[in-house]
Amino acid sequence: MEEMTSSLSVIAERLGKSEVFQSLPEKDLLEIAKFTHEDVYQDGQEIFVEGEPANQMLVVERGKLAIEKKIQLGRHSTPRNATIAYVNPDQIAGFSTLTKPQVHSASVIAVEPTRVCVIDGYELREYLAEHPKAGYEVISAITSLVRGRYQSATNTLTYFLSIVSHELRTPLAAVENYLQTILGGFAGELNQKQERMLNRCVIRVTDLSALISDVVDLARMRPEQIQADFEWFDPGEVGRESIEDTRLAAAEKNIQIRIQPPAEFKPIVGSRRRMRQVFTNLLNNAIKFAPEDSIVSFKAWYEEDKLIFLVEDSGPGIPPEDLDYIFTDFFRASNVGDSPGAGLGLSIAKKIMDAHHGDILAENLTGKDGKITGSRFTVEIPLNLATPEMRRREWLPEG
Amino acid sequence: MNENLSILIVDDDPDILDGILMILESREYHLRTARDGLQCLDLLKEEVPDLLILDLLMPRMDGWGVIRKVRNDSRYADMPIMVLTTVIEDASRRRYELETGQAMDIQAYIEKPAKPGELLDMVEKISQWKK
Repeated sequence: MEEMTSSLSVIAERLGKSEVFQSLPEKDLLEIAKFTHEDVYQDGQEIFVEGEPANQMLVVERGKLAIEKKIQLGRHSTPRNATIAYVNPDQIAGFSTLTKPQVHSASVIAVEPTRVCVIDGYELREYLAEHPKAGYEVISAITSLVRGRYQSATNTLTYFLSIVSHELRTPLAAVENYLQTILGGFAGELNQKQERMLNRCVIRVTDLSALISDVVDLARMRPEQIQADFEWFDPGEVGRESIEDTRLAAAEKNIQIRIQPPAEFKPIVGSRRRMRQVFTNLLNNAIKFAPEDSIVSFKAWYEEDKLIFLVEDSGPGIPPEDLDYIFTDFFRASNVGDSPGAGLGLSIAKKIMDAHHGDILAENLTGKDGKITGSRFTVEIPLNLATPEMRRREWLPEG
Repeated sequence: MNENLSILIVDDDPDILDGILMILESREYHLRTARDGLQCLDLLKEEVPDLLILDLLMPRMDGWGVIRKVRNDSRYADMPIMVLTTVIEDASRRRYELETGQAMDIQAYIEKPAKPGELLDMVEKISQWKK
């Protein structure tokens, strides 16, 4: 490392340009400069390590630092660093030196040769404690910096999840592939017992795979992301695709899906892919709880300002005390017993409908004697939604 | 049935390759394997297969990169490509379009895990289509 000496006033001037010290008067800057020195870090050099004591704050003069979090899933996957922010000239790294427990919350690595002012953390804490006005200015600047990082955390989460889902899915795909190969008889003949157990393996692994998709999906599902996908589509076609998605599950229980479409489907605006997910989730749910050899109804009709889809089954219904919670993340009704699923399908459907400013409702069907005879899920899609292109045009001046 | 169909299978996961080989070996196909996009391109230079079965997420060069290279090379213009991957079809096609400004020109898309019957049917269908 190369040490350099600049005069106090030069260092004070550099500190004064930084995002954290810019509102301090020169008097304070000159004092802080007394316990500040300059340093240069080489490309790739690790400066702070996540979890280690934080006793320095850096102000970048030239170059660039990366703030990184390490993630590793399981023992076999490669640890990866996810960059959560970059520190450019006049920005700081190492705010943890001013916040308890004074431990670095992330690692800091130079991504190019970088020249910095290094402020001694002990001295800085002491100085700010003795000069409350300067202390207040510095802490509010740091608060707004942390606030910005907090906002970018959502992006970081999405990135993490895409890695998580890939890391989890890859080994699972290999297992599923082998199971299918063995079950297909490509690795020799199976006896009945082996075949039954392997079939159970397939079911459990498929559930796990669906759960991974759901967890990743749920965390990613923000209204603005869904709305960015809005386009014109034929809802009838999407309905037919959902029936196709669930055909196998229905066939296994000999359930008939009885459809009652409107006389004509007119195109609507919405997220085509997400709407298919809603219908498929509702149909899968109905099939899961409907008794064997029964009928699941799938109806659609237009009302003045909305399109309604409805799914009915003749299953055990939803316990009245659970009705308010079934759209909550990870909620599973008390009467579902051993039925597979993590309880995410309905909460995903609800999030999708919220992003469409629509509604999703659940109710029980009751017979003449008041006994529950099944459940009904209703989806209401408003007909006045706009594609991103239509929204942009609304903002343009007329003529 | 075209018994002498030559197939190049590209996947970075040895277990997936093993499983797929076991399925395809049930027919008399001529099979070769590669573990990443660059190795795939090398093997293509040696001999153009009747079908390329291609994973997407791979080190060195991914499947999208292979498709882009191959579709811009007249030697492979007629070679059918079957994508076999964990990536969902929608997302995958969108990514390709965003990166290249072109639609992904492939003949089949199967999401893993492939059911053996489905895989064999698709291979047969593509080989018929080629004749």
